[in-house]
Amino acid sequence: MAKNLPKTGIVSWLTTVDHKRIGIMYGVTALFFLLFGGAEAIFMRTQLAIPNNSFLDAGTFNGLVTLHGTTMIFLFVMPLSAGFFNYLTPLMIGAPDVAFPRMNALSYWIFLFGGLLLNFSFVVGLLPDGGWFNYANLTGPKYSPTHAIDFWVLGVQVVGLASLIAAINFFVTIMNMRCKGMTLLKMPIFIWTTLVTQVLLILALPVITVALMMMTFDRSFGTGFFDPGAGGQVIMWQHLFWIFGHPEVYILILPAMGIVSEILPTFSRKPLFGYSVMVYSSCAIGFLGFAVWAHHMFTTGLGPWAQALFSAATMLIAVPTGVKIFNWVSTLWGGHIRFTTPMLFALSFIAMFTLGGLSGIMHSSPPIDYQHQDTYFVVAHFHYVLYGGAVMALFGGIFYWFPKVTGRFMDETMGKLQFWLYMIGFNLTFFPMHFLGLQGMPRRIFTYASDQGWNLWNLMSSAGAYITAAGGVLFFINIFYSIKFGKKAPHDCWDGRTLEWTLSSPPPEYNFAVDPEVKALDDWWLRKWDKQGKRLHPDVQPEVDPSTKHLPNPSFWPMVLALGILLLACGPFFDAKGIALSVVGVVVMLIATYGWSFEEA
Amino acid sequence: MKNSGVFRSRGVSWLMHKLCFTFGGLLAAASAFGGTKPFDDADYTISATLSSPMNTIAGLTEWAKSINHVYGITSIILVLVFFAVSLPLIYAIYKFRVGDDEDLINKKPPKQVHGNVLLEFAWTIIPVVLLLFIAIPTWEGIFDRPTSPPEGALKVKVIGHQWWWEFQYPDLGITTANEVHLPEDTPIFFELTSADVIHSFWIPQFGGKKDVLPGDDAINNMFFTTPKLANPEKRGGEYYQGQCVELCGLSHALMRFEAVLHSKDEFDSWAKVHNQAPVIASDLEKKGELLFAQCQVCHTISGTPSEELEKQMLAMDPPAPKQGPNLTSFGDRRTLGAGTRKNTYENFAQWVRDPQSIKPGATMTAFNMSEDDMQAIAAYLRFSTAKNY
Repeated sequence: MAKNLPKTGIVSWLTTVDHKRIGIMYGVTALFFLLFGGAEAIFMRTQLAIPNNSFLDAGTFNGLVTLHGTTMIFLFVMPLSAGFFNYLTPLMIGAPDVAFPRMNALSYWIFLFGGLLLNFSFVVGLLPDGGWFNYANLTGPKYSPTHAIDFWVLGVQVVGLASLIAAINFFVTIMNMRCKGMTLLKMPIFIWTTLVTQVLLILALPVITVALMMMTFDRSFGTGFFDPGAGGQVIMWQHLFWIFGHPEVYILILPAMGIVSEILPTFSRKPLFGYSVMVYSSCAIGFLGFAVWAHHMFTTGLGPWAQALFSAATMLIAVPTGVKIFNWVSTLWGGHIRFTTPMLFALSFIAMFTLGGLSGIMHSSPPIDYQHQDTYFVVAHFHYVLYGGAVMALFGGIFYWFPKVTGRFMDETMGKLQFWLYMIGFNLTFFPMHFLGLQGMPRRIFTYASDQGWNLWNLMSSAGAYITAAGGVLFFINIFYSIKFGKKAPHDCWDGRTLEWTLSSPPPEYNFAVDPEVKALDDWWLRKWDKQGKRLHPDVQPEVDPSTKHLPNPSFWPMVLALGILLLACGPFFDAKGIALSVVGVVVMLIATYGWSFEEA
Repeated sequence: MKNSGVFRSRGVSWLMHKLCFTFGGLLAAASAFGGTKPFDDADYTISATLSSPMNTIAGLTEWAKSINHVYGITSIILVLVFFAVSLPLIYAIYKFRVGDDEDLINKKPPKQVHGNVLLEFAWTIIPVVLLLFIAIPTWEGIFDRPTSPPEGALKVKVIGHQWWWEFQYPDLGITTANEVHLPEDTPIFFELTSADVIHSFWIPQFGGKKDVLPGDDAINNMFFTTPKLANPEKRGGEYYQGQCVELCGLSHALMRFEAVLHSKDEFDSWAKVHNQAPVIASDLEKKGELLFAQCQVCHTISGTPSEELEKQMLAMDPPAPKQGPNLTSFGDRRTLGAGTRKNTYENFAQWVRDPQSIKPGATMTAFNMSEDDMQAIAAYLRFSTAKNY
């Protein structure tokens, strides 16, 4: 049946296995969930703007705290990064597609269904309220008897599966499908950070998968892994969660570092300073990221040696991270710096990420952490890293590659206005939180008394959130406007350095008509100049009749298989009767696997 | 809401105040969706003060001061590092910028520098050295902490409940709630455990926090020596605020408590009189004493039949500890609802009639009693249980 599926229209999107289309779907879905995560933040900031507020009740607030964190991490930053991996990896390494195109589609559909399952909690009015870390035993059946927590446990389980499948896919793609001449140390730096991210995902996700399975068993089948009354331990959940949770932080930031490392050289017209050290730093950050999880647990009663060693390992991460920051500044040094919107976002990444990184070093010291843990100081810290850092870089990436994806530039005036709204709003929101933390304001409280000295900072913070929201609205307007009316983009629209700029904007379905071959890092840039610094005009990729190129066939089966997984995960919501639903899910999965196996790929 | 006059001179801060005030008013209007206001505290003012009852940088104990010491060193180093990064960054952005109108397509590229071994080596080594300056005081701070109770320490067992604190003094035979009385200048041994979910015990001005975990094999300790009284003449104790800092369910935000610091003499007399039976001084209090019979399934007052009932419940198999806080010294407490409301008659009556309106999810039963009965039970709990010490 696969061969007769249409090439355009809605069915073509449902059955596509083209990495570029899947990348777009990932990106669009992530931005859709950004609306949820952003609205949740605005609601919380409205509640906290003044003390003793009753805009939200305690239960709703705890639910929004949980869903804001979970949505921003699992349904916005990770899938948006996945969108970049999908769209760019084959283009940057000169490959026709990813290694397993149908698995790629499968991971998208699983992610989408998992995200919808999590947010279905809004439809039934049962918001999971255990925090994004979902600490046992508060989230066990005794203290959370409704199905609210199940939306979190099973939603994250399903979404995690999607990331795991995608990670294996990209790992294999990068390892096996690079074009001729592209040795590992000639790969674009973004591909390197992508590769390290996939390794982190492959190693970290099984841990949370197992932990979530144990949690599901505790909640649905009466086991007591995390129930002290049944001989379980609440601390075990924390270890398992953070063995996943800390590498997860680098899973969020490494792609952003890669994006920035692509944008800065392009708009400085200089190669990335210290490329090989940047590669080693990324690997070192990834490696050390697995040795620091207990720094989230300094106040749980760890012994002195555990505290000393985990704090030392945590401080060590500052070294490769610092090297990266200095190398970015050196990349700018002596360059021709152009203030395009992507460049503004990339530059702000360096400053904001540095601030967040430095406050992170403070928490790496257990004595300081005894005071800062679970206060707003930590909220300030990780928003500087993940929002001022990762999200700003991802926005820069969207502005940078939007012309490649759509064939049109995003509007620069709106982009710059958005950038400034974000910069002002972001800092107004999160800088005062440092003061709140030092003044002892705990995290995750739905309200506070007015005599705590926290009023001014909270009000400033909420004002900043509204300014950011205005920037966010402008971003969506810009996207819709630019798709229709944006300036047309040629192949090499930013005077770029990597292989994707040799393709038309948007690239043809088959990617490269002629198999590319590279001789060096930044091969495309080097081909544009002769030894005397005179501009050459090398050939871009030609376009050929698509029917002459073999392309993987579209398929319905990935979506069907993902649907089976969703049904399987929905079982526990219906208690004993739910087993039937789960069995139906497994049957659907088996049928889909059968159809998939015997389909012409 | 009213203007507190925090900003006395007109200027930028006055303008900021006005702006915030207007903005706050809009938000207050937006917040008028009904619902409950948990705290009953003072008027809303936007004060730019850095002081707070929960301040983490105004440590009073040796422990808290040693934390501030590490924090101070770290802050200085990190601020210097921030400038070491941001000044070159700002300079580079300014110095090497090119105009939008410049033809960069054909302009000769700048020198293509791929790296500099010496520089990269330098900014690998210098951070390591700087980190040592943070790491050494850090490790000192970790290993200087006692791992066993100091000699002569006063032992206090802290039991976290959703959403209130129980304090037991095993050597003094005292049980109280939401106010932990401590003698000045004395080593303290807090033993932390939870009756339900994970909480976190924290008195910021006395030092760091420690998680309060459920499970007999997960008992945490906290040791420190209390500071001297700021004003030794003052009677009735000095109050320091604490709060739960681990998300522990619906009313996590409303799980506060106070540490009350006394002179050693005053603490001794507090301990001596604490468990005395309530003194019935009027017919109203007498009536209240009788009404308390319906409270004693969950609450205990020493020297009354409720104490005997508690013993019986604890002797059962499995033991059935009472669900509510011990009210022996309720008349002495400044607050009710775990530091949420002032201990006034109005708040007391609202708490008894509709606890959910103050603390969502509280297990306290709502008692819809007549005004006469309410006044009686309030008189008994608020006055008969008050002690002179």
